[in-house]
Amino acid sequence: MSTLTSTSTAAAPAATPSGRHAGGRTRPPRRRGRIWLYLCVAAVLVLFLFPLLFLANTALKSNAEFASNPVGLVHSPHWSNFSQAWSKGNFGSYVLNSILYTAAGAGIGTFIALVMGFPVARGYVRGGKVWRAVFALVLFLPNALITQFQLLLRLHLYDNRLGYILMVGVGVGVGPLLFSGFVSSLPRELDEAAAMDGVGYWRYLFTFVLPLARPALVTCFILQAVWIWNEIILATVLLADPTKFPVTVGLYAFKGTYGNQWGLLAAATLIVAAPLVIGYLFIQRYLVNGVLGAVKG
Amino acid sequence: MASTASPFPFPHRSPVRISFFAGFAVLTVFGLVPAALVLVASFTDLRGLPGIPVNFIGIDNYRSFFSAAHLDDNLNALKNTLVFAGVSTVVQLALALGISVLLNRPLRGRAFYRSVVFMPTVLGVTVIGLVWSLMFNPSGGPAAKVLSWFGTDSAFFGDPKLALALVTFVQIWAVVGVSVIIFLAGLQSIPEELYEAASIDGASGWKRFRLVTLPLLAPSITANVLLGVVNAMQSYQLTYVLTGPSNKATQVLSLMVYVQGFGGTSGTTLSQSQGYAAAISMVQFVLVGAIVVVTMRYLRKREARL
Repeated sequence: MSTLTSTSTAAAPAATPSGRHAGGRTRPPRRRGRIWLYLCVAAVLVLFLFPLLFLANTALKSNAEFASNPVGLVHSPHWSNFSQAWSKGNFGSYVLNSILYTAAGAGIGTFIALVMGFPVARGYVRGGKVWRAVFALVLFLPNALITQFQLLLRLHLYDNRLGYILMVGVGVGVGPLLFSGFVSSLPRELDEAAAMDGVGYWRYLFTFVLPLARPALVTCFILQAVWIWNEIILATVLLADPTKFPVTVGLYAFKGTYGNQWGLLAAATLIVAAPLVIGYLFIQRYLVNGVLGAVKG
Repeated sequence: MASTASPFPFPHRSPVRISFFAGFAVLTVFGLVPAALVLVASFTDLRGLPGIPVNFIGIDNYRSFFSAAHLDDNLNALKNTLVFAGVSTVVQLALALGISVLLNRPLRGRAFYRSVVFMPTVLGVTVIGLVWSLMFNPSGGPAAKVLSWFGTDSAFFGDPKLALALVTFVQIWAVVGVSVIIFLAGLQSIPEELYEAASIDGASGWKRFRLVTLPLLAPSITANVLLGVVNAMQSYQLTYVLTGPSNKATQVLSLMVYVQGFGGTSGTTLSQSQGYAAAISMVQFVLVGAIVVVTMRYLRKREARL
């Protein structure tokens, strides 16, 4: 490695012009290379987009058309699949449940990241190292399905919306770690200046830190929100009443009932997937930041 | 570090403590306590019904896990877990490396391609499970159609020999985008001059990849391997959606916790031994911990060598 670098820096200025010249002469193979590149890209796109396009195609087929032509392009779009799936699957109330669980759960998690992450990063509470270890520890907890169920049972929070929200709310993942990493980029002088002006800690935390740290907090919120929106096992275990099910469990139950009517089932799947795909366009940036921040931390 | 010498600017420390420990209390009661109690529960005959006395039964659950009656099932789940985690991590890594090198080239529409690869991250297991059940629908799905051109057919997820491989494939499809993002960040931090220098030294494309890209990507590789192994060892939601909770061909340890603790089918909850399920949780936890420590040791050593 090091030898490669040192020889190159010396040789670089002299060699570049001829190198560029050679590049111009070898244009035909280059172009062939680019075609290969785009073929590879096309293969990747097919791998990732075809399943979703095929889902949309199936969602427009009536039972009869699916039976006679399961793979081909749809002939007579059967739009009523969507309205039928929506009402038969009761997705309206499932979606409302999911919105409640996701907003409240990710809200609790982000709040925890804020009130714990800030003082730890600033050293305003004793034992900074221990707390940082706790933030890392929450990423490596054992599968606690049994005890989570038992705890809610004993607190009389089993089959209770609040119980489920609290359980997914503490699934903070990388949140506190991510946020305390971000806090170090906020100038410490700001704390001192605000305190000097007589601003109390809570007012400072919620009216100064919160807006300044919004990108980091939004990242924490979205990472957890995506997890909660898609969570299915805890909801299956902790909720028994179908009117409280989130949309994931609702869709899984729908599959159990209408498993052989693929047109309807695909429409239902698309109803659940569409908000995710559309929302993805807006939250992608935060997700990428979250993943990269988590790896650094 | 900074925490040792930090003058506290605000007049009172109590608000800091109140909000800090309020957050910590919620995290502890609903997050840390259940996690810690898994170990305690694994030494009891805890059942899924409230009001039944709970007795400590020592290591009986663990003895039962390794007893002749359960050993076959458990070894099968253990084998599936390791195969699933090993294969999906390795293939995911290789595929992600290829895709990220490809998408690091100056292509038109590169941002869009990256978004497409990363998209399954938001779709969630239920949607992904249904999409791929449709793709691998044995009666007339696209995959069956392709097979029919070659004059064969398959039950896909219904075929015990194939099911685990297909679940692994879907898992890779679902999470490879995360690895690609991590690799792309690593690739972008490699200075362009190194490549120029290497080509001037006469290094071919493959040699440039092996001598420049791979060594400098070592930290991203470590991150991806760890993330992949931990994620794959603990993931069972996709298996649950694709092949059901008690399919022997795809049974993994973490799904067994669910099946043992909650029956998998409704109505069996009451008789299930949740203490035994907790013991499976602990076996799995120790296994994941051991694998993480060993891989971390190995990768750190490799990183240092490069």
